[in-house]
Amino acid sequence: MTEMRKLAVILFEDHVDAVIRSLGEAGVVQFVNMREKLEVWKGALVPYEVPTGILTKCSDILSRIEASSRGLNIGPEELPSEEIPVRNEPIEEVLLGVERKLAELPAESLAKSSILLSRIDELAQALEVKLEGVTIEESLLEKSAEEVLSEIEHGLSEIEEDVSTSGLMDRKALADRMKALTLEERIEVGRKLLELRKYLTDTRLTFAKKLSRLRKIAEMVRQSIEAKTKLGEIREDLLTLRGTVRRERQVAEAEQKLARTAKTIYFEVWVRDAHVKEIVERIQKTTDGNCITSEEPIGHDEKQPTIPKPVPSFMSAFEKLTLASGYPSAHEVNPIPIMMITFPILFGIMFADVGQGAIFVVLGALLTYFKRKIKPEEAGDIVRYFLISSEMFILLGLAAIFWGFVFGEFFGPSGVLHPMNLGRIGPFYIGGFEPMHEPMKMIRFALLIGALHMSLGLGLKLINCIKERHFKHAPIPVAWLWLLWGGLSMWSYWGGISSISRWFAQGMVMLAGLVITPLILLVIFTAIAEGVMEGIGFGVEVFAETLSHTLSYGRLMALGLVHSVMNYLFLVLGGVEHGHFPPMSIPIVATGTVLVMIIEGLIVFVHTLRLHWIEWFSKFYSGEGIPFKPFKFT
Amino acid sequence: MNVVLDPSLTGLMGILLAIGVPTISAAVAIIVCGTAMAGVGTEKPELLSRLIITVVLGEALAIYGLLIAFMLISKLPSIKTMEAASKGLMAGVIIAVGTGAAGAGISYAGSSLIGATAERPETYSSNVIGVVLSEALAIYGLLIAFMVIGTI
Repeated sequence: MTEMRKLAVILFEDHVDAVIRSLGEAGVVQFVNMREKLEVWKGALVPYEVPTGILTKCSDILSRIEASSRGLNIGPEELPSEEIPVRNEPIEEVLLGVERKLAELPAESLAKSSILLSRIDELAQALEVKLEGVTIEESLLEKSAEEVLSEIEHGLSEIEEDVSTSGLMDRKALADRMKALTLEERIEVGRKLLELRKYLTDTRLTFAKKLSRLRKIAEMVRQSIEAKTKLGEIREDLLTLRGTVRRERQVAEAEQKLARTAKTIYFEVWVRDAHVKEIVERIQKTTDGNCITSEEPIGHDEKQPTIPKPVPSFMSAFEKLTLASGYPSAHEVNPIPIMMITFPILFGIMFADVGQGAIFVVLGALLTYFKRKIKPEEAGDIVRYFLISSEMFILLGLAAIFWGFVFGEFFGPSGVLHPMNLGRIGPFYIGGFEPMHEPMKMIRFALLIGALHMSLGLGLKLINCIKERHFKHAPIPVAWLWLLWGGLSMWSYWGGISSISRWFAQGMVMLAGLVITPLILLVIFTAIAEGVMEGIGFGVEVFAETLSHTLSYGRLMALGLVHSVMNYLFLVLGGVEHGHFPPMSIPIVATGTVLVMIIEGLIVFVHTLRLHWIEWFSKFYSGEGIPFKPFKFT
Repeated sequence: MNVVLDPSLTGLMGILLAIGVPTISAAVAIIVCGTAMAGVGTEKPELLSRLIITVVLGEALAIYGLLIAFMLISKLPSIKTMEAASKGLMAGVIIAVGTGAAGAGISYAGSSLIGATAERPETYSSNVIGVVLSEALAIYGLLIAFMVIGTI
């Protein structure tokens, strides 16, 4: 297993930008946020403040580049990061360089000329005039492109203003006003309008002439700029500049996690075992050896990032279900492979049915087949979930078939199959009965499965305690197991909770040994590990939790029964008796099966998930880990 | 006045309670959580697959009622005495109260969970506990109602 190492680095302020850039280039370290740890240093370190204005400047330049790119129809595509040159100077200088380069590029003039051209065309369209070619005096082009463009802009604004005052655009308002007038007034106005119309036609022609001239000039400026430079080169340059600025912004953002003294910078990074040497060399090289790097011991309570372990694709559904509850911490047992076994078992008990299980298996196999043909990312939301969980469907179906044999269900308690007896442990029957007719046997079985499932969780907690070297906590799960099974044996030995008075009379010694002793031990062990008050609180919590969580597994019985009852309903409707399906019953049973599989499937699935998240994970899984996401330029 | 109830009518009242109240509880939970989900779905549709748990747990309440009602119906022929009839009625009352409480819990905790998850998705795993524990109330009612029916 690759181990995480923590490197502490001290270097001079002048080198910080180059070092961070070089680390981003390597893309294998994760910065520790020093701002959260400053208390440990008791004032020796202060947060490193990125020079003010750098981030604003970055966004400023980026929006300028963005504006130019839009004018030149450059999309949001990115250059691959290897093509962006690596700089060694501080961020401020890099940004200055970018600004200088940006000013040299004619991109802004080009963009401006296209914007002006489209503005002129829009105005001409609104005025309903056609722009005709005009000849332009050559002297205009002796001026610089910027000057000419701003002249055009100025002229265009004047024309726009004139147009709006002339009332040319307001014909509708004029017509409305005309309607409100009396007949005499209209005749009078009509006469005036004839004059006005002639005047307006003349003005429009004048505007057209002016606009044509402006358009021609703008076009010529554009052509002259284009003649001097190549559009492709500008595009390349703009993309490079954009990449550079984005990278600098990432560097500045990463630097906010660093700490400093008066002249030096201090920071810590998480890095994989295999990359330690490479990273140290990188830092040494960038700073010309003027730095100190050392490997720090990892603190006991320190949260170290977990390296996401890739899981085989058939486990991806279980991975998603686990991660939705939280990310595993570094040394925790990864519950995904175990969940792959327990999840179908619990699902199968509630969904026990040979026929419906077989349909699930077929469905899962079909989905697995189609998964290779259709890419899950391209499918719709629901189809994607189905495709991701295709292998899970097969497992769930197999489990449903197995428990279907045990409880004798084929499309409900149809009488085709007889329950299979797998054995008996004390009062606990494993199979050999029909849940619908002997629900008390089923509830005992459900509680037994619950106790086993929780014991598995407690066992994993013990392993976690040892793996994380929390040896003081290790006896806690052992005492808890003792309490769980002690309580369960008390319950089964004295014939259920209804005879609780006998627990305290004849069964007192047994109660003391099986329930009270482990409870006291739990309090003592927790008190040693965490403190007296925590111990007492935890004792009460464990007592209540053991009781309520075990009872909660009663839902295995409840939902299992609901499943067979719903199926039974359709069997009765269809007239199925003693395993004989009359032809008329087939459509009814088929409809029932589809309904039950959709509704019950969903409900049982959610309850299985709930049993895992609440009753099982709460025993051993913290879900408080942080994923290892190295700092990398994107 | 001395009111004498017919045993089979009393049993039927148990069935009415067992199917009626849970379906109302389920409807309340689904109405509250479903509308909250629809609102969040317009902003963050990627969360819906996780939030659907609230609606499904709400729906499960109606199924518990259905189960108890069904079991009572299958017991109807053997409900001859007033004692058996009161047991049937009480089983209906137990599941009604249990699912009613669970329905209220899911409605409140569920809609808050949905709102909170839209704002900060990382709080989901802690907040969902409120919803699933509310739902456990119905399971407790179901188990006890079940045991009462077993004694008929």
